[in-house]
Amino acid sequence: MTAEQNTVHNEELSVVDSLITESSTTEDEVARMCAGLILDGQLTVLQRQLHADFLKIPMSFQLPPNYTGLDASKPWLMYWPLHALEILDPDNQTDDILSRIGPSIMACLNGIEGAFGGGNGQTAHLAATYASLNALAISRDEQVWSQINREELYKWLMSVKLPDGGFSMHVGGEEDVRAVYCALASAALLNIITPELTEGTAEWISRCQTYEGGIGGAPGNEAHGGYAFCGLAALCILGNPIEMIPQYLDVDSFVHWLSARQYQPEGGFSGRTNKLVDGCYSWWVGGCWSILEGALPWITSTDVLWSKADLQKYILFCCQSPRGGLRDKPGKSSDFYHSCYVLSGLSEVQHRYSFRPKLRGSESGGWSFMWTYELESPDIVIIDEQNVVGPLNPVHVLPAGVGERMHDFYAALGTLEL
Amino acid sequence: MPLAYISDYSWEAIVPIPQDDGGENPLAPIAYQDDYKTATGYLRAVMSVEEVSDRALQLTSDLIFMNPAHYSVWAYRARLLFALKKDLEQELIWIEEVGQRFPKNYQIWNHREMIVDKYDNPIRELPFIEVMLELDSKNYHVWSYRQWLVRRFDLWITELPYTDRMIENDVRNNSAWNHRFFTVFGKGVDIAQSEINDEIDYAKRAILKAPQNASAWNYLLGVLKRAQRPLSEIEEFCNDLAAVTTTAQSLNVDIDRLASTRALEVLADIYAGRREVEKAAQAWTLLAEKYDPIRENYWKFKNRRQVSVSWLQPK
Repeated sequence: MTAEQNTVHNEELSVVDSLITESSTTEDEVARMCAGLILDGQLTVLQRQLHADFLKIPMSFQLPPNYTGLDASKPWLMYWPLHALEILDPDNQTDDILSRIGPSIMACLNGIEGAFGGGNGQTAHLAATYASLNALAISRDEQVWSQINREELYKWLMSVKLPDGGFSMHVGGEEDVRAVYCALASAALLNIITPELTEGTAEWISRCQTYEGGIGGAPGNEAHGGYAFCGLAALCILGNPIEMIPQYLDVDSFVHWLSARQYQPEGGFSGRTNKLVDGCYSWWVGGCWSILEGALPWITSTDVLWSKADLQKYILFCCQSPRGGLRDKPGKSSDFYHSCYVLSGLSEVQHRYSFRPKLRGSESGGWSFMWTYELESPDIVIIDEQNVVGPLNPVHVLPAGVGERMHDFYAALGTLEL
Repeated sequence: MPLAYISDYSWEAIVPIPQDDGGENPLAPIAYQDDYKTATGYLRAVMSVEEVSDRALQLTSDLIFMNPAHYSVWAYRARLLFALKKDLEQELIWIEEVGQRFPKNYQIWNHREMIVDKYDNPIRELPFIEVMLELDSKNYHVWSYRQWLVRRFDLWITELPYTDRMIENDVRNNSAWNHRFFTVFGKGVDIAQSEINDEIDYAKRAILKAPQNASAWNYLLGVLKRAQRPLSEIEEFCNDLAAVTTTAQSLNVDIDRLASTRALEVLADIYAGRREVEKAAQAWTLLAEKYDPIRENYWKFKNRRQVSVSWLQPK
């Protein structure tokens, strides 16, 4: 390992095409804007208080009417800021906030279907169920945990399972790899994974890998950072990632595609070939790196395969909104979604994750709870103390220890007759 | 003045169900406009008894214009349309209006898929998709929908010329390239070598227009791999673009003439596949130190492993 690893790359690439198209025009604009914000050789400061104030808005105020577009994503409006607040500083999570999660999430439960919807009285939905359970994990509210009817939730999961091994988002909804991830992550937290639930699913994920090496939303669709994370993380729930990843993905082409997501001079990740960098891929793409580096020791023993220093640069210089909260790129407003995934990306820059199968014994359904972390070495990335954010579980995108605790709670209740 | 919910139908006999956000002091409450609050109160009431009526259908139209991301409303609407045996062509026209008003909304695509599947006629689809891709030529959900449509109605014949046109407009439109790959290989029938040759030539011509364009390179390499053709087939092409000349032991790059760093990368893989370790190392070192330094760690990793993309472990 060399000391040069922690240097950033602010200069433009030396070989650039002269042909101008819509894609290259927008890319040039973004590269210029980012370069203008990045200061050579300096680290800027994470504006903790400003971001915490922004993230506490849903806990303190009524959101204005323009949030109506997220009225079918209420559990996300809780999970995103809660997760971000906790990795920013665990002290942000007051008892008052934690105690209000349970009732707020349970209001989204569709009692007839047995799973969570996007709001009170809405149809049960896999993304809403995933976000709800993640928010409940953060609540640490065992009283609410014990109110969840796992048999009913399991039956509903089976009702959105499709014969080809995939899942649809809701009854009659769209089938994609997000649905697979949300279903499996939910089942893992509740400890209700069965062979019946997962039959054919790894094969279905495998069919979503494209000729570019990344993973698309469904077989044939374009490779995309968000779906890549969903597919990879789902494999880490289905079994031992050391075996599952090489069995169901062409790892070399996946890594090649992942590596091409980091842009110079911006330092951030794009989600697709020839698309622009976006702060949220700091997690979707960066999370893939965490998992690969932590699960496949032959990928990396001491090194990382990408530039953590450059991603940290993009996050700190380009993704912090002056009004608080994190954003896609300069010129965009901050929001809770980007705050959650940009800060998760920062956490991923600053930590090194390892999959340790012996850590907790290999009881079934527990594969995604065997991850440990350590602070990244200064040879890889220089981390200013005031910029450090907390570690997380790279499969569930939850503060470290939180999902583990919820899973253990249900595991202790014994096996369900499913 | 609060916005009242105005409807053509009478809602007097129905008891709206108010929204219960949970507890005294719920998280993330939204200060809805009055019309939305009233309409969702009716929605919960009619959905709870699965009312099948024209007024319920009208309610879904109104709510979709207030919040097109409300997936429960879309799903209910589909059930109503089928139960009431509504004219599905009218529905398609209506969706087109919604799509143009809310171009980023994606709930419409799953809905349209259900309607078109039942309608069993794709006549309106390609023109509508065209309009939507004009608004955003990389709209992920539109391209996914187009794939479904092509499979469902066996529309393969139109697709290659369509991707020609989209790639002509923007040679870096990766969605169009992905669709082209789907078009060539998605049919599930054997492909003639002549067709493969055409695709290789097509990709090469596109690369010559913009030699750093990753979309065209990914396509070229993807076609070769799928057709089980060797990378060495494009070695000369890469030599030209990377301005490379070689001896048995080493390579020489004319730095001023190099037009494509990707060509250099492919050459490194070709050398590694032939166990020409020194040459591969030279190419990767150039990528790491000169041409693509942000990915230095990756190039060094490739060099350490000397693994070429052409001899990957099988899936």
